Amino acid sequence: MRNLKLFQLSLIFFSSIPLLPILTLAFSAENPTDRRILVLLDDVSLKSSHSIFFSSLQSRGFDLDFKLADDPKLTLQRYGQYLYDGLILFAPTTERFGGSLDLAAVLSFVDSGHDVIVAADSNASDLIRNIAAECGADFDEDPSAVVIDHTSYAVSDTEGDHTLIVSDELIQSDVILGKEKIEAPILFKGIGHSLNPENNLVLKVLSASSTAYSANPNSKLSTPPSLSGSAISLVSVLQARNNARVLISGSLELFSNRLLRAGVQRAGHSKKFDKSGNERFVVEVSKWVFHERGHLKAVNVRHHKVGESDEPAIYRINDDLEYFVEIYEWSGTQWEPYVANDVQVQFYMMSPYVLKTLSTNEKGLYHTSFKVPDVYGVFQFKIEYQRLGYTSLSLSKQIPVRPFRHNEYERFITTAFPYYGASFSTMLGFFIFSIVYLYSK
Amino acid sequence: MARGLRFLVLILSVASICDAATFNPISDSHRSAALELFTPTDGSLKSLEETFEALRTFEVLGIDKKSEIKGYTCPTVVDTLWSPSSALKDLFQALRVNGVLKCELNDEVFAGIASRLKDNVKDANSLLDLHYSIGSLKLIKGQTAEVDVHLEDADGIFRAIKALSQSDGRWRFSSNNPESSTYAAGIALETLAGVVALASHDIDQSLMDTLKQDILKLFDGIERYDDGSCYFDEKLVDAQGNWGPVSASSSIVRGLTSFATSTPESLNLPGDRVLCLAKFFLGIGVPGNFKDLYHQIDALASLENNRQVISIPLILSLPSSVLSVTRKDQLKVRVNTVLGSAVPPLSVKLMQIFTSGSKDASIIDQELKFDPETKLHVLDALPENVDVGKYIFTFEILLHDPEHKKIYATGGRTKVSVYVTGVVNIDQAEIAILDSDLGNVETKKRLDLTGENTIALSANHLQKLRLTFQLTTPFGRAFKPHQAFLRLRHENGVEHIFLVRSSGKNFEITLDFLGLVEKFFYLSGGYDIQLTVGDSVMENSFLQPLGYLDLDLPDAPEKAARPPPQPVDFSSKYGPRAEITHIFRSPDKRPPTELSFAFLGLVLLPLGGFLIGLLLLRVNLRNFPSSTLPAFFAISFHIGIAAVLSLYVVFWLKLDLFTTLKALGILGISLMFTGHRTLSHLASTSAKLKSA
Repeated sequence: MRNLKLFQLSLIFFSSIPLLPILTLAFSAENPTDRRILVLLDDVSLKSSHSIFFSSLQSRGFDLDFKLADDPKLTLQRYGQYLYDGLILFAPTTERFGGSLDLAAVLSFVDSGHDVIVAADSNASDLIRNIAAECGADFDEDPSAVVIDHTSYAVSDTEGDHTLIVSDELIQSDVILGKEKIEAPILFKGIGHSLNPENNLVLKVLSASSTAYSANPNSKLSTPPSLSGSAISLVSVLQARNNARVLISGSLELFSNRLLRAGVQRAGHSKKFDKSGNERFVVEVSKWVFHERGHLKAVNVRHHKVGESDEPAIYRINDDLEYFVEIYEWSGTQWEPYVANDVQVQFYMMSPYVLKTLSTNEKGLYHTSFKVPDVYGVFQFKIEYQRLGYTSLSLSKQIPVRPFRHNEYERFITTAFPYYGASFSTMLGFFIFSIVYLYSK
Repeated sequence: MARGLRFLVLILSVASICDAATFNPISDSHRSAALELFTPTDGSLKSLEETFEALRTFEVLGIDKKSEIKGYTCPTVVDTLWSPSSALKDLFQALRVNGVLKCELNDEVFAGIASRLKDNVKDANSLLDLHYSIGSLKLIKGQTAEVDVHLEDADGIFRAIKALSQSDGRWRFSSNNPESSTYAAGIALETLAGVVALASHDIDQSLMDTLKQDILKLFDGIERYDDGSCYFDEKLVDAQGNWGPVSASSSIVRGLTSFATSTPESLNLPGDRVLCLAKFFLGIGVPGNFKDLYHQIDALASLENNRQVISIPLILSLPSSVLSVTRKDQLKVRVNTVLGSAVPPLSVKLMQIFTSGSKDASIIDQELKFDPETKLHVLDALPENVDVGKYIFTFEILLHDPEHKKIYATGGRTKVSVYVTGVVNIDQAEIAILDSDLGNVETKKRLDLTGENTIALSANHLQKLRLTFQLTTPFGRAFKPHQAFLRLRHENGVEHIFLVRSSGKNFEITLDFLGLVEKFFYLSGGYDIQLTVGDSVMENSFLQPLGYLDLDLPDAPEKAARPPPQPVDFSSKYGPRAEITHIFRSPDKRPPTELSFAFLGLVLLPLGGFLIGLLLLRVNLRNFPSSTLPAFFAISFHIGIAAVLSLYVVFWLKLDLFTTLKALGILGISLMFTGHRTLSHLASTSAKLKSA
């Protein structure tokens, strides 16, 4: 009897699962933070060994769905709709995902504007390497290689092979790493990657020190290491053109409770930090990846002639105009005014004729005024705002510009007065002459 | 799940070399983790099950929070136990919690529950129901002596549970559920232990024998890691994904110890199996979720306090496996039980030392001195043949009391990897430019690799660069670091790395630029020279900029490979762009207004001249028509002309062409008419004059 009841209950529960995504708050343009995140693990124990990272996500309102990477029911979309807003791939050794998920599915997930965190580790599978390579990060091809640093390693009583390295060479970006500086160095244990120099969307967030190299610590080197020095990227991020964000880490342990809780002392330094910078780092970076920060929107684009308030359909050359735009940044919960002094507007026809920095009232409103160039044609107001870590803003609004009308040219030019004088004096002379000629005797 | 815990293998295997891994007993980090994970939310823990798990974990770890939890949990326990409609599971959990907290209850409650449970036992058909019922009865037995909890038909119940077992030693949860589970096996063993304890008479010996066989079969299916730990895998996952290897192994350990304690006979489990299970639980480290923490702690506690029915594992660990020769670190070894408590008198022997990467071992067989204050076994000085390097030390635990050998599992020899570090001496560093064909030294500079070097060299493609230095260990032997790179970096960022190879103590690298021009992409110009020497056992690993090399290479042939693109600085992409302001067409040059007015005056002069001329000519208007009608037409004609001329002025001032033309049309018609009349009148007048 009880079993039957249980069965009924579970039936109701499972049949309501497909409804859940509809009920939960979903990713949208107005609310760009991700909500539903699929976490793929190659091992259930990761859930507990990385629980601090996961619980920080959950406490920020994310709905984590933990699945094993080889779960045969794995899928990212159903009926053409994505079931998740983000994907965390903590399955470095998985050669094949279960279900319908594969490399192409992950890439099209990113192509449709969703965010991914990929963590690799030594012995990372080709699948994970390929996902990273598609994002412009090439992991060291030697499967047994890890990043070693004999100068900048964490002092430890138990690990003497210098593969637990410390780095504080972080990207200088408040938007990716938060406004507060991460004081404690970051512990890293894993593999390194290099960034494809032709891919200018991918950025090094955490790089190794100049003494680091990527090699197998247990065998002698016979050839120079393929990756060495500060060219090694430990953690990289990619922001695609569609503002999808991808984090690529060469270490899964970077996110683990062990390294989040560990104290850290860099070799050769006497200062000992009670806690490594890892927790701050992974939390801040995940905030960025899941669009809790650095997501901009531009609204209320307006322009008009100085002294008027209505938007004209056309401008005349040499008009003075004013341009307004409001830019807001998503803070994770609400839109807040975005304050910057480098937003620029272009008045553009084939190439920018005017490029001007907008001034802000610090409440999100940006404004500038300029004179329409003396070239007529179809122009655009263009804002191409690309800043490190922020989503790119690309606005354009078309506006034609006409030349002067015939009656808008300058009249009564002083220089022409002799000509006018000549004409009128001739006319007056003609008038007098006509009278004199006709009636004089 | 089959590939479960691979990550763990990874951590362990990375941390270890070969199969030498260190496992540390439970420590304070577990205590702080427990306090953090079992924090009551809103004043109380979520469920009685969780409360029990928290209580059990705190108890094992020696954290006293009982009185605090008692306050808000006892009312729930009493409620659950009094309520006749409580589910079996809740009763079981409530009794478990009560077993720890000892809430105030009278025997009447227990008697009521006991009779209810006994009825349940008879017609229960699922393993969990039986587990809860029998577990509860056993708990009641422990909490009160007054209530009769003995089972009449113990053999029957035993058989009913046994019927759910599978051939591989695992169990099913119920007879209509075909899937077998390792977790269930642990539960079943625990339940059977309960049955044995509650039985009013001895259980049939044949049943016990078959059960022992089952247990051994279960151990045949144990999974092993390279580092000497082993675990029970779990194929079945519940809806919450909670059953993993940790809970399965923990359940087996719990079942096994409770079963072993309930029977007088020995299970004859080999000690190394117990030790490897213990290593598995210790290898997890500090779990991040409270279920795993409970399973880990509970299993380790069961292993440690099993009243000696199965071997108690002893764990050998090194407080520090990185020993510095410069600091004269001593080799210290700690032997503990899994929970970190004291051990019987024993001594530790260092048996062998393997040099990492080679099979040769030096046999030492040296006993370590026991320091009763720190409870550490200390080796005063490292053996003489131990220089800096990676080693694997083999230890053996020798129990002083031969009786203890049956009680404790020491696992034979324990291998631990040890890093002996030291400061490596760097001598005779030299850099030289050689002529290619004869090898004559062109320039030669001595380097101080411990200080700063700023050497400026120049070479062409027919010359060679040679760098030599010596590395010796503190004991004067040759030292081969893992990392010995010479790096040349061109001004534009192209980097070349060369390994510096050694023969004995001497390191030498010769760069023949003639053979390298292609590799250098024919890039002439300045190169920075850097030397990096590092090793995990070298305390003074360094990166030294040596100086600057001005290299003169031939021009690149057309087909030569281009240097690889260098990563671009992203600031150029992301920074604001330079402002652009439109340059307006400049207005035409104009003469000064005075000049225009001067010319205006000049232009008006002829009109004055004309008027003066008219006056001089004494013009008159005598010819003006005298009669009314012609005079009217003449005036209208001239007004018309004046109007047309004024129209031109107005056109100049404001009118456009169309208005002007319209007005001109109207004016023109009247002008034509009046003009015709005026002119014809004048013509007829002058004709009359001529004819007259």
